[in-house]
Amino acid sequence: MGGAGEHYVIIGNGVAGNRAAEVLRDGDPEARVTIVSDESQPFYYRHLLRDLVTGAVGEDRLGVRPLSWWSDRRIRLRLGQRVQRIDFGAKTIYLAHREKLGYTRLVVCAGSKPRVPETLWASRAHLTVMKTIEDARALRDRFGDVRHVLIAGGDMVSVRTAAAFLLAGRKVTFLVDRDAFWPIEPGPEQRAELAAALRSRGAEVIEDDAVVAVEPVGDARVVALKSGRTVRCDVAGAFFGLVPDIDFLAGSGLDLERGVLVDEHLRTSVEGVWAAGDCAQVYNPDLRNWWVSVGWGNAERLGEVAARNVLGDAVRATGPAESVLRCDGVVVATRWWVDLP
Amino acid sequence: MRSDAAPTGMVVRICGAAGDGNIAAGQVLNRAVTRMGFRVMNFDSYPAEIRGFGKSVAHTRFEVERVWTPGDGCDCLVALDDAHSISETARLRDGAIVIYDDRPPDWHEEDRSVAGFVVPGMHGYGVPLRDLSTLATKGTKARNLVAMGALAGLVRLPADPFREAIRGQFGSKSEEIREGNVRAFDLGWRHATERLKKRDRFDFGLAAPVVERVGKAEILSGNEAAARGCLDAGLLMYAGYPITPATKILEVLAKKLPKAGGVVVQTEDEISAIAHAVGAGWAGTRAATATSGPGLSLMVEMLNLAVMAEVPVVVIDSQRGGPSTGLPTRTEQSDFRLAAHGASGDSPRPVLAPADVAECHALTFKAFEVADAFQTPVLVLLDFFLSNRIEDVSGLAEAAARFGTYAEKRATAGEGGYRRYALTDDGVSPRAVPGTEGLFHPATGLEHDERGFPSYDGPNHVRMSDKRHRKMAALAARWPEPEAVGAEGPLDLGVVSWGSTIGAATEAMRALAARGLAVAGVFPRLIWPVQERPLRALSERSRVLAVVEMNHGGQYADEVERVVGRRVLRVARIGADPIGAAEIAEALVGARKEPGDSTAETAETAETAERNGTGGGQEHGT
Ligand SMILES: Cc1cc2nc3c(=O)[nH]c(=O)nc-3n(C[C@H](O)[C@H](O)[C@H](O)COP(=O)(O)OP(=O)(O)OC[C@H]3O[C@@H](n4cnc5c(N)ncnc54)[C@H](O)[C@@H]3O)c2cc1C
Repeated sequence: MGGAGEHYVIIGNGVAGNRAAEVLRDGDPEARVTIVSDESQPFYYRHLLRDLVTGAVGEDRLGVRPLSWWSDRRIRLRLGQRVQRIDFGAKTIYLAHREKLGYTRLVVCAGSKPRVPETLWASRAHLTVMKTIEDARALRDRFGDVRHVLIAGGDMVSVRTAAAFLLAGRKVTFLVDRDAFWPIEPGPEQRAELAAALRSRGAEVIEDDAVVAVEPVGDARVVALKSGRTVRCDVAGAFFGLVPDIDFLAGSGLDLERGVLVDEHLRTSVEGVWAAGDCAQVYNPDLRNWWVSVGWGNAERLGEVAARNVLGDAVRATGPAESVLRCDGVVVATRWWVDLP
Repeated sequence: MRSDAAPTGMVVRICGAAGDGNIAAGQVLNRAVTRMGFRVMNFDSYPAEIRGFGKSVAHTRFEVERVWTPGDGCDCLVALDDAHSISETARLRDGAIVIYDDRPPDWHEEDRSVAGFVVPGMHGYGVPLRDLSTLATKGTKARNLVAMGALAGLVRLPADPFREAIRGQFGSKSEEIREGNVRAFDLGWRHATERLKKRDRFDFGLAAPVVERVGKAEILSGNEAAARGCLDAGLLMYAGYPITPATKILEVLAKKLPKAGGVVVQTEDEISAIAHAVGAGWAGTRAATATSGPGLSLMVEMLNLAVMAEVPVVVIDSQRGGPSTGLPTRTEQSDFRLAAHGASGDSPRPVLAPADVAECHALTFKAFEVADAFQTPVLVLLDFFLSNRIEDVSGLAEAAARFGTYAEKRATAGEGGYRRYALTDDGVSPRAVPGTEGLFHPATGLEHDERGFPSYDGPNHVRMSDKRHRKMAALAARWPEPEAVGAEGPLDLGVVSWGSTIGAATEAMRALAARGLAVAGVFPRLIWPVQERPLRALSERSRVLAVVEMNHGGQYADEVERVVGRRVLRVARIGADPIGAAEIAEALVGARKEPGDSTAETAETAETAERNGTGGGQEHGT
């Protein structure tokens, strides 16, 4: 196994995919290693996107490593190339620009996408999400004209984003969605503390209400709430957490549920295919159940585990122990989320 | 991401298999951006053999300011054929655009899709070129124009000049084809503006630049301009034998000269072609032929006859890679020695070398005047690059005037004992065309006396040889001397170049001046006889004197060294592509002497570079 005839393909240029590629290259110097991602931007820090929007940092600050890192390691980056479908029988990936790509072993690190509650699907086009650098660029380019932002949700990203926007002098209305406090698990007291912290910075915090529809009026948005109230703002942001981005795998033969189902060694239901990072739903033999994680550090760890197993190890992926995180001065419990510089 | 500074131009390469319509798309692009007011240079490349096989590329550079070279690198690759386009990605500059068909009829095998080679720093845009073409025209042929629409929409160039250009380009086709092509362009435009997420920095803001010009701009290739120069000069007899890269001159004249009352003969070979032209020239008709190196080799004997018998005739040589049949579709400037000196005996004749398309017209036009005024064959040296590149030109007639005017010395009848080759101060004898009553005279390739009768007398041969050389000296004295361009006073670098390489040398000089070097150049158009004063003056001011040209080792450099009496830095290379400005700048700056070094060391630097084949630009190429 391994060597010149081997072609490891990794779908996803996030932290999981890059860690996997690094481990595969180190463990198998002769093999071909290819990373495919539909994003055109080389590996970057997602947590800095809020600062990119406000102008606090430039794009040059986002990159995790220089391009020479990949070329030095002979890892081929296929960026801006979307995987449309996979023929696992023929070990062939079909790229959206209509190129076939063969692999011998495949690691799926397709990550996550913003969750938009079903009730808001009709308004989807008028909601702003922030997952990719493209999302952030689009918002940055009009941020000068933005005075008032409504943030609906309450995930980790939303709290930090609200703080950044307030610092940038924007009016922020924060609409708390109870279910969206994820992956942190604040109790009622901590939720109140978080709300108080946001208020103290100048945000209007609305609790016990929900968005039912968003309508565009010119460049502005009118957000209708369950209570009957409407909020007129320049940006209506949806921050309801992240969910595995696996639609392209539907019908491929891979076992899927919320994410790509993998055993504790991150093997999928298909021979020669592993999954890691935000997209994976990992079996825990002790709990006899599967877990999904969203978080940088955990994705990185899973990427490494998957790669080591691809190389022939039998490493078990264990869920991280519960830890705490300071969020806006409030200490909250979290399993996956880590503080990034 | 957008940069603050609006772009001033770009280099576009449209790549496909021959037959994909890339050249036609390039022509539309040239016309459109010329209409907008940009300055343009287009230089296509296609397979050496007859078209229909292999890769072909339309290369266009447009800029707000005068364009001297096709540009180093590429800002936009339009891929009409994936397999051929893949190698093109190596030329792309950081931030470049790649437009490709993301709905090809069949899935590409691995590494057969250009999209797979779009690396970070480039921006790939998938456009369903074939699908949109089919929507517009019921066929996939118009995908080249869909791509032009996508390009224009993406970089926000105004659409109307493109539509006009398409209508102009396909003016002879049916309205259905013409309008179908416009629809194809429009669909590409709409796709780009409505569907593509723009990430690159090229945004012309739908505005055309403001450019001042003399007269109306038109786009011509060097060969077309040379043919036009022939027509404007009153050419009446053209004989030619087809040869790449000169064939187009024959093609244009075959169409146009008969309408102007002239005659075109396609002869059985080059010897016959020049024999026709010399005969016509002898008879008093403005006559010309055009060829390339292999043909010029065959023409040497007839050229000698024209020198000896003092017959005006114009010979255009579009140089290509040699020797022998060499590299028909590759550019080179390696015929200088053949043109200026290639002959048996001492056979002086002028050689002119235009620097750009407008000068292809001007100098061809002037060649006829010089030929008549000095009763001599005149060679005009084009090359593959100059013959085939397309530029926007305007005010052609005005441009020719700056090379002076030359009147003919005609003999008047009645004196008796007509001395056709009378010895005069400038060597030019009053000329009568054969058959003029009272002025009958023999004309021969044998050495002759003043009346034209064969003479093997030694002193006569000396006098006649002197006379023929005096004509050259007279021409060198009357032709406007090239002015030094660039910095004044003492120079870090003096640059000499000729022909199509002047453009790249000029751009390289600008780049070096921007880096703080004192640089100036002298760029002769009359390359033989050599006007020595400007070269010496430049040499005296220059720490390093460089000669830039495209041949092996520096043919013109020999000439310059002879004149200035010191070693020069030879930036000379051959190879597939025209020498680029960046390459020249690197070679020049690499050899630049640090302040404080002695002049002797400078000479040595050049010498060592030459000997070792390092520095001096010599290592590039072949
Ligand atoms: C705004 C924001 C801030 C965050 N801040 C923090 C933080 O402070 N701390 C923390 O621990 N975590 C943070 N996270 C979460 C963290 O970034 C993710 O957990 C982590 O990026 C997951 O890495 P991954 O490699 O699994 O997937 P991802 O980073 O999502 O990368 C997956 C890649 O695969 C690509 N892909 C998906 N499908 C396809 C396909 N079909 N074809 C080709 N490519 C495909 C995606 O486009 C993506 O580029 C944040 C996330 C966001 C969005």
